[in-house]
Amino acid sequence: MTVTVRLPGALRDATGGQTKVEANGRTLADVITDIDRRHPGFRGRVLDESGRIRTYVNVYIGEDDARSKGGTDAPVPEGSEVMVIPAMAGGA
Amino acid sequence: MLSPELRDAIVEHAREASPNEACGLIAGREGVPTRIIRCANTHPQPTTRYLIDPREQLRAFQDMDEKGEELVAIYHSHPASQPYPSPTDRAESHYPDVVYLLVSLRSEAPEVRAFRIQDDVLREVSLLQTGSGRSSDPRS
Repeated sequence: MTVTVRLPGALRDATGGQTKVEANGRTLADVITDIDRRHPGFRGRVLDESGRIRTYVNVYIGEDDARSKGGTDAPVPEGSEVMVIPAMAGGA
Repeated sequence: MLSPELRDAIVEHAREASPNEACGLIAGREGVPTRIIRCANTHPQPTTRYLIDPREQLRAFQDMDEKGEELVAIYHSHPASQPYPSPTDRAESHYPDVVYLLVSLRSEAPEVRAFRIQDDVLREVSLLQTGSGRSSDPRS
């Protein structure tokens, strides 16, 4: 299954500056592993030590928040677009 | 460069949101700001913190794509403190390629400053267009 993964923000550092990459996988975990194979270190930027999506990262599969669809077990349909969006936050 | 109209629109958003922090995005083309996108501050402590609604982020990116725009800046307000990135702002910045624009309402005349935050290095940038009838440089 081929999907497009878009990476606005700092995560492009983990893919050699690319903001859009193609990847294969049936689940979000598969897709992340596939990108990490070509861009070592990517997985650690998106997932924490326990394998969960980092708190400051939001992942959408199409219009669906991956956290509401099983987290890294979320299915990724063929042709879908995955957006990995770092949070925009701060404070005085 | 940020036009006086966009600057005023951001200040207006900051005033409307006060005492909470306002937050939003500046879209543009080839680095030139063209419009602001107001976003909801969903942080549970909105008077001192901001968190842009993630789903609004998704919509904004999709909308900018459709319009051929790019993200130029992320703005937020400091209702009672200086227009300078706080330690929290720096720790939670994940967009080294865009400008972080801050509006302070601590004094009657709003102050607006812009920065890049890259690898914990802070650099002030000039995003603000002056002149056009304005009496002073808003960065001063």
